[in-house]
Amino acid sequence: MTVKKLSYLMIALTVTIVSCQKDPSTSDLHKDYLVYTAYDTSVNFSGFNTYYIPDSILLMTDESQDVYWSDEDALEIVNAVVTNMNAYGYTRTEDKETADLGIQMSYVKQVTYFVGYDNPYWWWYYPYYWSPGYWGDWYGWHYPYQVYYGYTAGSMLIEMMNLETGTASQKKLPVIWDSYIGGLLTNSAELNLTRSLQAVDQAFEQSPYLKK
Amino acid sequence: MKAKKYLAIKTVLLAALMLAAIQPSKAQIMYDSYFNIDWQYNVPLGKAFADKSSGWGMNFEGGYFVTPNITVGAFVAYHTSIKYIPQQTIDLSSSSAMTTNQKHTLFQLPFGVSGRYNWMTESIFQPYVGMKLGANYAQMSSYYYVIKHYEDTWGFYMSPEIGVSIFPNPSQRMGFHVAAYYSYATNSGKVLTYSMDNINNFGIRVGISF
Repeated sequence: MTVKKLSYLMIALTVTIVSCQKDPSTSDLHKDYLVYTAYDTSVNFSGFNTYYIPDSILLMTDESQDVYWSDEDALEIVNAVVTNMNAYGYTRTEDKETADLGIQMSYVKQVTYFVGYDNPYWWWYYPYYWSPGYWGDWYGWHYPYQVYYGYTAGSMLIEMMNLETGTASQKKLPVIWDSYIGGLLTNSAELNLTRSLQAVDQAFEQSPYLKK
Repeated sequence: MKAKKYLAIKTVLLAALMLAAIQPSKAQIMYDSYFNIDWQYNVPLGKAFADKSSGWGMNFEGGYFVTPNITVGAFVAYHTSIKYIPQQTIDLSSSSAMTTNQKHTLFQLPFGVSGRYNWMTESIFQPYVGMKLGANYAQMSSYYYVIKHYEDTWGFYMSPEIGVSIFPNPSQRMGFHVAAYYSYATNSGKVLTYSMDNINNFGIRVGISF
């Protein structure tokens, strides 16, 4: 009888211990946005003067064709990037061919997609992302540093390419600065826009090395 | 609030199961032995990782009276501390930075051997002093956005304790248990830019004793 009771105790103890770790509620974590930035430390940003940025944001969706976001909200977000770039001493140009830097923006609207830096060729296979050919005679992207993105709905990506690179023969366009912004998808379109604008400002604030 | 209610229900059910397994006339499961099942409230001391007090923990202990006053036994306990970190910018490396809010959690699971010196073992109130020695598993975690970063650590654990077992009917040795403890563990680790070097806690335990 004693052994039986002890077995009850052991079963109860085991069940309790196994389920003992308390996971925190993550609902508070969605009260604010996340901004991650990374850059190529070998690049001297003061050597660049002009940049080209499209007036629309590429939407990463499950649509069967490229979709661009170009309404007033999108333009406001693009202008936030422009304002920050200008404040850091760069000049926007309308001539893509002569620009020193290219900036592209993407917004993950519906998909959930994860990628690690150890798999750099995912860009080749992701169907509805910016085409390297948009920037010229390029076949792919190249990150000179480690990056790690976790793409979920409500994320925005800002990437800066070195269009002056001398490694064009490799046909891979180097991304020399990138910013991943998460937490932009709430039930309020106004809040989403406000967060997006604040997050863009934050991306530049935490990247003082961009300042000329 | 909901989670606290769940913990309370789980604790009560567990205590009920323990008590149901014991016949009133034979309170001791094994002759000359004791068992404690406690809920505990833990207070981290000093500036530490996830250094916020909480009641997310329990303690299980059993032992044998090697003399009328001295017991030796074993224990296992667990505790989770959770702390909210407001939005801040951290430098992850020389080339990357991140601005986010976080939740830090520290889960501790010490286990090992225990010893006690007991007084007035025939009375209703039976005070004791004790010491626990063993190993401490601790997991440091940072939750942010949809990501959890964590590191598992191990360390040496020691914990002096004072307490009292309360038996309304001493002959049956079925009653309550109240204790206060200090614990020290040598665990160290790092998550993101947050490091931990040793763990110091103070806490209280309330439970059943038989």
